[in-house]
Amino acid sequence: MNVEIEDLTRRFGRTEAVAGVTMRTGPGVFGLLGPNGAGKTSLLRMMATVISPTSGRIRLLGRDPGQYGQRREIRRRLGYVPQHLGYYPRFTVVEFVEYFALLKEMPPTRVHHAVAAAVERVGLGDKATAKLRTLSGGMLRRVGIAQAIVNDPELLLLDEPTAGLDPEQRVAFRALLRDLGQRATVMVSTHLVEDVGAACTEVALMDRGKIVFQGTPEELAARAEGTTAAGDAPLERGYSAVLAQART
Amino acid sequence: MSTGSVVVPVPDETTRRTLPALTATSGLLRLEMRRSVMLWMLPLVATLFWFITYRPSMAYPPLWNVRAMSMQTTALSVFAPTVVGAAAWLGWRERRHGMTDLLIGTARPRWSRQLATWAATTCWAIVAYLGCGGVLYGVTAWQGAWGGPLWWPAVVGVVSMPAFAALGFAAGVLRPSRFTAPLVAIGVFLALQISLQFIHGDDSYWQISPLVAGPWEIGPDTGVATFYRYLPDLPIAQVLFLAGLTAALLGTLGLPGDAGGRRLRRCAAVVTAAGLLTTTTAVALAGTGRLDAHGMIAIPLLHDEGDDRPLRYTPVCNHTPIPVCLHPASAGYLPSVTAALEPVLTELAGLPGAPVRISQAAARYEQGPDNRVSISRAGPPTSGTPQVFHLLLPHQTATAEFVAELRVDALQSIVNSVVGGGRNASPAQQAVTEAILGTSTLAPGSPAAAAAQRLAALPAAARHAWLVEHVAALRAGQLTLEQLP
Amino acid sequence: MTGGETRHRPYVVAPGGAMRAALRLARLHLDSRRVPAALAVVAACAVGLRVALRWQWEAYGALQLPLIFETGCAVAIAVTATSLLGEPERVTGRWLPLLRLSTTLALTVAAVGALAVAGAGAHLAGGTVEVLRNLAGLVGIGLLCAALLGGAQAWAGPTTYLVISLYALYTQWHGPALTTPWLWPARPPYDLGAAVCAALVFSAGVALIAVRGARDTGPETARSG
Repeated sequence: MNVEIEDLTRRFGRTEAVAGVTMRTGPGVFGLLGPNGAGKTSLLRMMATVISPTSGRIRLLGRDPGQYGQRREIRRRLGYVPQHLGYYPRFTVVEFVEYFALLKEMPPTRVHHAVAAAVERVGLGDKATAKLRTLSGGMLRRVGIAQAIVNDPELLLLDEPTAGLDPEQRVAFRALLRDLGQRATVMVSTHLVEDVGAACTEVALMDRGKIVFQGTPEELAARAEGTTAAGDAPLERGYSAVLAQART
Repeated sequence: MSTGSVVVPVPDETTRRTLPALTATSGLLRLEMRRSVMLWMLPLVATLFWFITYRPSMAYPPLWNVRAMSMQTTALSVFAPTVVGAAAWLGWRERRHGMTDLLIGTARPRWSRQLATWAATTCWAIVAYLGCGGVLYGVTAWQGAWGGPLWWPAVVGVVSMPAFAALGFAAGVLRPSRFTAPLVAIGVFLALQISLQFIHGDDSYWQISPLVAGPWEIGPDTGVATFYRYLPDLPIAQVLFLAGLTAALLGTLGLPGDAGGRRLRRCAAVVTAAGLLTTTTAVALAGTGRLDAHGMIAIPLLHDEGDDRPLRYTPVCNHTPIPVCLHPASAGYLPSVTAALEPVLTELAGLPGAPVRISQAAARYEQGPDNRVSISRAGPPTSGTPQVFHLLLPHQTATAEFVAELRVDALQSIVNSVVGGGRNASPAQQAVTEAILGTSTLAPGSPAAAAAQRLAALPAAARHAWLVEHVAALRAGQLTLEQLP
Repeated sequence: MTGGETRHRPYVVAPGGAMRAALRLARLHLDSRRVPAALAVVAACAVGLRVALRWQWEAYGALQLPLIFETGCAVAIAVTATSLLGEPERVTGRWLPLLRLSTTLALTVAAVGALAVAGAGAHLAGGTVEVLRNLAGLVGIGLLCAALLGGAQAWAGPTTYLVISLYALYTQWHGPALTTPWLWPARPPYDLGAAVCAALVFSAGVALIAVRGARDTGPETARSG
């Protein structure tokens, strides 16, 4: 198992953003769904070792992120695209991705090739030497994805990765996720249920800091059967049904 | 996006260990240097340097001492706010661009990442400083300045760059805000300027300020490091201080829990402690400074007796009837000195009591009360037989002031040595002195002033002929005003 | 959006007249520019000047000290030109130029007042007239930089000008003296040419900032705290 989480909580002052989440998952694409404020981003940030849990147990790639040495090993094998992607406007696309490759302690001899490959994989080969400040929002999002996959991560965490991508890029991105999911654990937090349906092998639905559903996309869609849940597609209806059930 | 998988394997532990970490660090440094904001500050720094350091320095004769010291005093005033501001700006960068989350999730320790950013800023600052210094030193060498470049002021300047960068960077990291860069830049500038106001005497702790290149009150002085070596005592203390400050500030960045592993934080703690200790030691050393007789601050614990030996030189002389010989470093002043002294020397040449040569004397520096420094001639005004007059060049660098001061000090002494009398001069001696010097210090309308005017009106040759005949009686005080022509 | 039942009473902006709305808008604008922090910096500069004036300074030090504190105030005012809101704010109505103008003027007046009060009863070289002239000119340089380089970089201009001005002051003792009125801090307080130059720079800076605002320098603008 690449991700093992047990009764994980995280508080910000009086707010309990994550309230006792338990989850185990191996390679594959894992969708994390939920309304705004459900705790998805906090859960991903804990898995990205950005913040530490208030309580509970978490093991990533068989290691304990609470210990510095093991955390460093996790980070070498981690890719992370946060919800709000920051960037240095004066860096070029290649420089930005190379910067992260070096920060992820990739062997210097492999950095050049890996950067070129990552930039190509997100379809920015023709913009490789463009400064980031000249790129559109969608392109910047792809730069963010490139930096996340440059080290060919074993655990890839993506927070709203398709925001700003055009339909064509979104389709290509889903294909990329499926490809990455063959070897790694890819965890995608999103509002877009069609992304989950198209790319994810497993899905979890969070509400008020708790996981209220975990299963396959098909199982989620099936939860709408026999209900009057709102939604234009089976997954949307399943989503609404689970949420409604969780709140009653 | 393509799914064509170009697999980049994550290196295993053994591979990673065998690969040189240095290459990765240099890669990071290269990236940081290429995009450092300090790079964009270079034209600004160069312009300020030209305006505030280079242009005024070129107004002086080519003297290594004055120009080298300006690389420490005025040049650092230019570099301090710009380097500190740029470094603070970079320290704030991660927060400003919302990169914090993204960067925390990377394997390289935060401290190591920050050090790369600081190092890039420092490298550019040093490149800029060396470039500016190189131009100033190159032009000085090209202008034929005597001796060799003085390196210690430049060393202090170079070592100041990492310290300034560390100061700004630490402020930017620890207090990230839009106000940080401007306030810390101006604050450091203020602190540097204010610290100079606290220097009282040669044993002041504030002399540790990198802007101090000698006794603060006299500033870059033409007489320093000419006859004797440039004392490295105070520069060594300043270098220690700056290195300690750099270490302490950078070490502080490695102390927080999220800066790196336990070993790294221990290392940061040791660096911080060592830095603080070095800084304190350097300040204490500066407080034991004493102004030596040659115009430099000597620190007993750092002092090398060998630096007190006079330097060898071959004087540069002119061809006046009484030759004037200057130290080769002051050769640029020879035309002014000749113009100021020649008429009087021509008149006095060959007279009994007149010197056969005028030779430049070293200055003697003495610390007075509070911050005052008295500068006098080292040794007696005249020596040897035949007599040699020892001339102390005035400190003034503007030609008019320089000549005026020479007339007041040197010529008065030379004329007195021929005419005699000194402070108790007879009216006739006073009148002759006034006539030769062309001054008007006697009471207007007095008999002595009238006699002086009479004598001054004579042609120089006639006056010289009269002096040849009567100088012995004049020196003996036997002539009266009426006996003057 | 969820279709769930609303559990809390929605927050409603308290009704009020035009004056109340204007005041609220002004307060929100000042907050968005971090004006309270800028005022704190101005106050700190005034306190610093007051403390510094308690010591005896030689003539050069007495002239240079107020100028450094004036520059501190000027950069604090200039960096408030940075907008946290970027383009959405730019496309709003007619109030924004007025808000920018009044914010800048109010901060300048506050800074002059604070430094004048700090110098009251002490030997403030040049007096309040010089504080007004120097500060206005420095603020003008800062605002011009904000308009050209971006608000967060606005400090570079006044800081550079400070270094040049201090050198110009130095040349008054160690000639040849720099006497151009564009280096107004090195001119006597009642020098008309210097006052005109400072006023021109201030007017240009204020006008540019009021009309165009600080240059938008991309994503960092939105995150500069």
